Amino acid sequence: MLKRNTIAVLLLASLPLAAHATETYTIDPQHTYTHFSASHLGFSTTHGRFDKSSGKVTLDRAAKSGSVDISMEAASISTGLGKRDEHLRGPDFFNSAEFPNVTYKSSAVKFKGDTPSSVEGNLTLLGVSKPVTLTISAFKCGIHPMNKKYLCGADASAQIKRSDFGMKYALPNVGDEVKLVFQVEAYKD
Amino acid sequence: MQEWLNHPAVQSGLAPFVVALLAAELLRRLCLSGLAIIAGFAVTVYLASNFSVDPLTATRKIVWLGIASSLLGIALIWFNGSLWRPILSVIAAAAAIWVSLRILQQQPLGVAMQWGVGCALYVGWLVFWMDDLRDAPVRAGSAGVALGLGTGGAALFGGSALLGQFGLALGAAAGAYLTILAVTGSRLPCGRSFTLSLSLIAGLTGCLAVLTTQLPWYALAPLAAIPLVAQIPVSEKLALWIQSLSLSVATLACAAGAVYLTWRVAGAPPF
Repeated sequence: MLKRNTIAVLLLASLPLAAHATETYTIDPQHTYTHFSASHLGFSTTHGRFDKSSGKVTLDRAAKSGSVDISMEAASISTGLGKRDEHLRGPDFFNSAEFPNVTYKSSAVKFKGDTPSSVEGNLTLLGVSKPVTLTISAFKCGIHPMNKKYLCGADASAQIKRSDFGMKYALPNVGDEVKLVFQVEAYKD
Repeated sequence: MQEWLNHPAVQSGLAPFVVALLAAELLRRLCLSGLAIIAGFAVTVYLASNFSVDPLTATRKIVWLGIASSLLGIALIWFNGSLWRPILSVIAAAAAIWVSLRILQQQPLGVAMQWGVGCALYVGWLVFWMDDLRDAPVRAGSAGVALGLGTGGAALFGGSALLGQFGLALGAAAGAYLTILAVTGSRLPCGRSFTLSLSLIAGLTGCLAVLTTQLPWYALAPLAAIPLVAQIPVSEKLALWIQSLSLSVATLACAAGAVYLTWRVAGAPPF
């Protein structure tokens, strides 16, 4: 009986330690952008980005696990030309009136050593969810030199086919292959 | 060949025109020449978009409602009655709400009500008045050309190539129907398979363009006038091609008005 109670107490005592191992971060919208690029008629590459993002990131370095949940406002698309942005927001491309958000939800975070190296998850665009793996090219955590808050940042990228999500306008003239680059910074809660 | 089929002018002009021409002529003996509209529209959907169902977006709802309306148009040949006109208008108005539902849900209640009622009235109006032309092939054909080209042109200037192509395809298909009529000098069967599908697709496309592009709502007013303008008195004794020409000039003036109003607001298309 005593042995069983001791085990129960030890298990209970270990719970807070396990809970503390997972750190939760809130995305900093001022330093989090999703950039995209696609071929324009084969002549050059057009670049753009979503200006407004939000979401959460969790990280458990001891267990080498984590999660990413990012939502981008489709209407915040920006390519540097208002007229083109209006077209991209419309039903030919991102259809932001019907699908206001583009989201990415992770299913697993892979580590190489102590740092995350890739994220597996689902990208939802135009109401269609497809598995997309993000490759992390840079990752750093530390104290922000100005505000002294603890944050993590990463650069990650992926390649998708827009036709997989039903975005078929102007194919094949406007490229089907779209490169996504995520620039993410998130403060520890 | 594929490069040729990828060209927007082929997708929404030449291809629907040729297919509608064939459909109108081949189905003449079955009194189903009105199906030329959906045949022309379907070929544009096939070339420029797809017939997917999931996710059921507003544009996909328009495609499937258009196909369903042409079938309903055929079925109503055997169920004629004066009550069908208001009933079809009410169903069309409800369809307008259904098509734009996901967009309306993103808006505050007041705005959603305003947009929803506006769309329902516009689509219901078009279906009601186009139905009046179902036994008048020359008038229906002329109104169809103008409604299609006006909706397509305005949507194109508003900023959506896809919605523009939908409208232009209707105009091209109605143009093919009118061409046979004018060249052969004989009246083709028209019916609800022509007027119902054309007015429903054009109405829903115009409505969706207002909600998702820069097409101003008041540009729909000259388009709404087209079925009424198509009823102006033209002597039945005149040759069919002269009747077609006269009615087309009158109705296309309304279409041009809608395109002009959109151009004033949105400027040149962004393509």
